[in-house]
Amino acid sequence: MSLRRLALAAGLALALTPAFAQNNPLGALNSILNAVQQQPGKAAPSNPLGALLAPAQQPAVATQPGGIDFMALLSQDGPIDEAKEIEIGRQLAAVLLGSKPMHGDAALQRYVNQLGRWIALQTSRPLLPWTFTVLDDPGFNAFAAPGGYVFITSGLVERVDEAELAGILAHEITHVTERHHLQALRTKARAGAVTQLIGSQIRTSAVGSLVSQQVLAMARNLYSSGLDQQDEFDADRQGVVFAARAGFDPYGLPGVLQQLRGQAPDDPLFALSLSTHPPAQQRLDALASAMGNRLDAFTARPVVRIDQRVARARR
Amino acid sequence: MRMRFGGALLALACLVAGGAVHAQAQPQAQEETVVVRRATEVREQPGESRSLASLQAEASVTRLADRQGPWVRVRTGAGVVGWVHLFDLGTAGSAGATSSGGGASGLFRGVTRLFGKSPTTSASNNATIGIRGLGAEDLAQAQPDTAAVSRMEALRVTEPQARQFAREAGLAAQTVSPLPAPVQPTSSNPGAQQ
Repeated sequence: MSLRRLALAAGLALALTPAFAQNNPLGALNSILNAVQQQPGKAAPSNPLGALLAPAQQPAVATQPGGIDFMALLSQDGPIDEAKEIEIGRQLAAVLLGSKPMHGDAALQRYVNQLGRWIALQTSRPLLPWTFTVLDDPGFNAFAAPGGYVFITSGLVERVDEAELAGILAHEITHVTERHHLQALRTKARAGAVTQLIGSQIRTSAVGSLVSQQVLAMARNLYSSGLDQQDEFDADRQGVVFAARAGFDPYGLPGVLQQLRGQAPDDPLFALSLSTHPPAQQRLDALASAMGNRLDAFTARPVVRIDQRVARARR
Repeated sequence: MRMRFGGALLALACLVAGGAVHAQAQPQAQEETVVVRRATEVREQPGESRSLASLQAEASVTRLADRQGPWVRVRTGAGVVGWVHLFDLGTAGSAGATSSGGGASGLFRGVTRLFGKSPTTSASNNATIGIRGLGAEDLAQAQPDTAAVSRMEALRVTEPQARQFAREAGLAAQTVSPLPAPVQPTSSNPGAQQ
């Protein structure tokens, strides 16, 4: 495998994605450098057609001995394959779990994993390695990370019934199936300064598979500032459908939003959740327009308390 | 007699347990003053049942804790207690918006408001109060915990386990079509602020 052939593959990749070089000259430069730096026989495309069909995944991102260069991966335009998506999610999950520990109730954790996985089976991505956890936190919030990581605070679990929890989980699951966090990270990566990107490359090479400082900074920023507001409306609209498909009352999520509506924005248990989402009344308005009475046939469900289910899981 | 005594004990235990759960749910279960967004009826039961009273748009009612599907229990100013549809209620501030426009325009107005606000300002108030939830400052100090991710991953359940859970919980998969996406305003891009 000659360097010339690799450079040619990288060039083809650029030629095939005209927006690539325009939007992100640095990413383009990185991909050429990475492609040229690859060693013979190591992750290089043996078939030139492979490079043509998957220009973004093969020559553009060098898999380094200790891990993936996420900043280069996020800065480029091509699709991010599922394995890398999961690895990015893992790193974001590490940051969230570094801010709050997992709740110690094993039966509760098992129940949330069963419930969450059952809802995820109703989506377009049923086979992701879905992973749910309850964070030991009195606040009222939920988070997701790419690849199927979903978090919910114990303070939220204590305040809702099963259909409402299903609605919240379905909303978070939609963020994963629609790759909302991945898109937000790409926007941030592309907006990053040149020096930051170069700094990240050096650090990632040095620390191997550890979470790089750049990914850490982006994760902190992402979960403090929230997603695109339109993504939140989309997650509500699709989430109520997933909850209904899983056999739950689809009004669980509107029920939670109705409760959130009455909370003061500076209530310290609700502050982050409220500041990172559109106002609850707007979310209800959007759901009212989308749902109409389309899902009313699925509402005749008994109210199930979470402690009843967890008690059963404990047996 | 023994049975009755046992029954009384059981009832007492249920009361205590119910009370505990109620107390736990109290921060959410509090009553809320809301505004009727369009003229509607107060129903005797959840669903299209007998009307107990008529409500005009912008009338204030007290929302009680109970919800059954889309139906929530309210108490009117005249003291009538019954059920109205969840989407027919809103916050006091939102009532004018609804009566003059409807859901879509309300949404659009809200988006412009979102542009002006700083997403993290509210977190600064937290230090003054005892109990608070995960906030921006926790994230700012977070050090990645990859060992905890591995512990989390160890709790994954398989697809067959999830299906067994659903069977035992009486949950059956339903066929539900996607909901139509709303028409997007072409000029606004809320994500640009990130």
